[in-house]
Amino acid sequence: MATKSRITTAPIDPARVLASVTDPAAGGTVLFLGTVRNSNEGRPVRGLEYQVYREMAEKRMVQIEGEVKAKWPVRKISMVHRYGKLGIGDISVAVAVSAPHRAEAFEACRYAIDTVKRSLPLWKKEAYVSGKGAWVKGDPIRG
Amino acid sequence: MKVRALYFASARDLAATPAETLSLPEGASVEDLVQAALKLHPKLKAVMGSSKLSVNVEVVPAGTRLRDGDKVGFLPPVAGG
Repeated sequence: MATKSRITTAPIDPARVLASVTDPAAGGTVLFLGTVRNSNEGRPVRGLEYQVYREMAEKRMVQIEGEVKAKWPVRKISMVHRYGKLGIGDISVAVAVSAPHRAEAFEACRYAIDTVKRSLPLWKKEAYVSGKGAWVKGDPIRG
Repeated sequence: MKVRALYFASARDLAATPAETLSLPEGASVEDLVQAALKLHPKLKAVMGSSKLSVNVEVVPAGTRLRDGDKVGFLPPVAGG
């Protein structure tokens, strides 16, 4: 089984996240992967460093999973977010959802990743190719 | 009473520490803790306008009363994913 720990410094293995939502009653499974992009707002980026308020993030991820299960007939949901230093192409976040049908699997996965981005206490600092770095401008944490 | 202040991201850079313990009078609020932190780290002011505050992992209004042993998070705008 995957993702007991939803917040980790270890590389995310998408196959493991997928395997953790396997369910015989599921007819559709959606996996979302967020990866580190090589530019942001026109600036070449060489990597990201994520910082997290771990205790709060773990609690909120459990809440999000509960919300998703209350809103859609989801069989299983699994989420993991990485922190620390990541390079271009590294997976920063994974969300997998299995459901009886594809429509609710897509919708639930979309809701989960959107909520992760808005409501988890996570920050990322971009390391620019120029050698400088800056915190990515975010939005106030949601409730 | 003693309260733990936890600084994140730009707030951590400006405070130049990830966390510290502050002594406050009984009945102090989150706002009182913020003022105490600003006295120690005046540069923090730059991010306070856009930051949220948490007590023991819940986001709270600045008027919230604190208790001994509480952990107060200084949370600049977030950017996960």
